[in-house]
Amino acid sequence: MVVLDHVTKRYGSFTAVRDVSLTVEAGEILGLLGPNGSGKTTLIRMLTGYHSPSEGRLSVAGFDTVRQPLEARRRIGYVPESHPSYSHMRVSEFLRFMALLRGVPPSAVPAAVGETVESLRLGEVLSKPIHTLSRGYRQRVAIAQALVHSPDVLVLDEPTNGLDPRQIIETRHLIRGLAGRRTVIMTSHILGEIARTVDRVAILLRGGLLTVRSMADTPDLEALFLSLA
Amino acid sequence: MRTLGVLVRKEFHATFTSPVAWVVCAVYLLVAGYTFSLSLFFSKVANLTYIFHQIYILLVLLVPVITMRAFAEERKADTLELLLTAPIREIWIVLAKYLSAMVLVGGLLVLSFSYAVVLLLYGEPDMAPITGGYLALFLLASLLVAVGTFWSSVTENQVVAASASLGTFLMLWFSDSVAYLLPAPADLFFVNLSILGHFTPFVSGSLFLSDAGFFLTGTLLALFLTARALSDR
Repeated sequence: MVVLDHVTKRYGSFTAVRDVSLTVEAGEILGLLGPNGSGKTTLIRMLTGYHSPSEGRLSVAGFDTVRQPLEARRRIGYVPESHPSYSHMRVSEFLRFMALLRGVPPSAVPAAVGETVESLRLGEVLSKPIHTLSRGYRQRVAIAQALVHSPDVLVLDEPTNGLDPRQIIETRHLIRGLAGRRTVIMTSHILGEIARTVDRVAILLRGGLLTVRSMADTPDLEALFLSLA
Repeated sequence: MRTLGVLVRKEFHATFTSPVAWVVCAVYLLVAGYTFSLSLFFSKVANLTYIFHQIYILLVLLVPVITMRAFAEERKADTLELLLTAPIREIWIVLAKYLSAMVLVGGLLVLSFSYAVVLLLYGEPDMAPITGGYLALFLLASLLVAVGTFWSSVTENQVVAASASLGTFLMLWFSDSVAYLLPAPADLFFVNLSILGHFTPFVSGSLFLSDAGFFLTGTLLALFLTARALSDR
C-alpha cells in the first residue's frame, strides 16, 4: 500500500532523512518511533506530498507522490502534529469543506460527514465553532477531517500530543479500531504509546532507519530502543 | 473548477467573519465619501479625477491590510499544510485567495459608482475619463492584490507581509521619480515601472493597451511567483 524506496531529504547541507526504505501493507498500523529531530515528521511530510524527496521514491496505493501527487494525496488522510483546523468554522462546516476539498462529490458529502461524525462521536459539537471546543474534541475533529473522504491510508503525526490520559486512551482505541480497514502510519516519541497501538514499529535515529520490527516479536520495546539508540 | 468554488467560498467566510474586512470597508467609504462631498461642494465641477487619485492612494494603503492574512494566517495556524496536502493544485489555492480579495476590493470600487451616479443625476459629466478611471482602478486593484498575496505567501507574519506589500507599492509608485537620476536605458525601465504613470492616462480618458498590459502582466507575474513560492517547499 505504501512504499518508500531509498528516500533521502536534504535541507542544504543538513540531511533530515537518509536512505529510508520501507513497505507498509494494507490494513497495517505502523509506528514511526524516534526522538525529537529523528526525521519522523519529515518522512511523513514527504509521504503526504508536503515535501518532495531529494532522492528516492515514495508511492501510495501505486501512485508516485511526486509524479502523480493528486492521485496519491486522494488516498491519504493526514493529521498534522498541531491538529490544525479553521477555528472560525463550525465543526459541520469544516468537515463539509474538507470533504469537498478532498474530492468527495457534493451529493455524497452529507453521508460522508454523517458517517465520520458518528464514528468519532462528534454529534454533540457539530454546530459549535471549533475555537470553542476542548483540546480533546479539536483533536477528534482533526482526525475526522482526515477520515471524511474514506482514505486508504491515514497518517497521524504525534496524535496523542498534549492530550490528557483519558483522551490518549480514546485516541488509541480509535486508531486500533481502524486496523484492518485502513493502513495507518503514526509517529510518536513515546515508547508506551507505540507499543500499545501499532502492529509494527520502525525506529528512526538522526534521519536513518535503524530497524523495523513486528510488535508481536518485540516483547520489550524499551530494551530494543535503548540497545539501538 | 468546483474546487476553486469551494476554496473561494471558504475565503469569503474567513474574510467576512474577521473584523479586518469591515474596518477596511468603513475606512474606505468614510474617506472616499468625505473627499467626494468636499470636492463636489467646493469645485462644483462634474468630474471624478480627484476622487480617482484619492482612491488610488486608499488602495495602496488598504490592500496590504486585506491581503496580509491570505497565506500568512494559514501558515501561522498550520492550516496551509492541510491545503497543500489536499488533492488540489497550488494555483487553485492562489487563485482562490486572489479572487476573494478582489471581490472585496472590487465591491468597494462598485460602491463608489454612486459618485458617478450623483454626477449623472445633477450634471453632465464627460463619461470617458470616468469610465477610464474606474477601469484603471480595477486594473490597479488587480495588481496590488496579486502583489500583496505574493508577499503573504512567503512569511507567516502578517505585519511583515503588509509592510513588504506597502513598501513594494510605494517603490512602484515613485519609481519614475528615481528614473531622473539614472542613465539611459535604466531611466526608461524605471519610468515604465511606475504604477502612477500607467494609471494617470486612464483617468484623463486616454486608454492605452500598453497601460492595461502593464497591470495585467504584473498581476500574472505576481500570481505565478505566489504559486512558485507555495510549491517551493
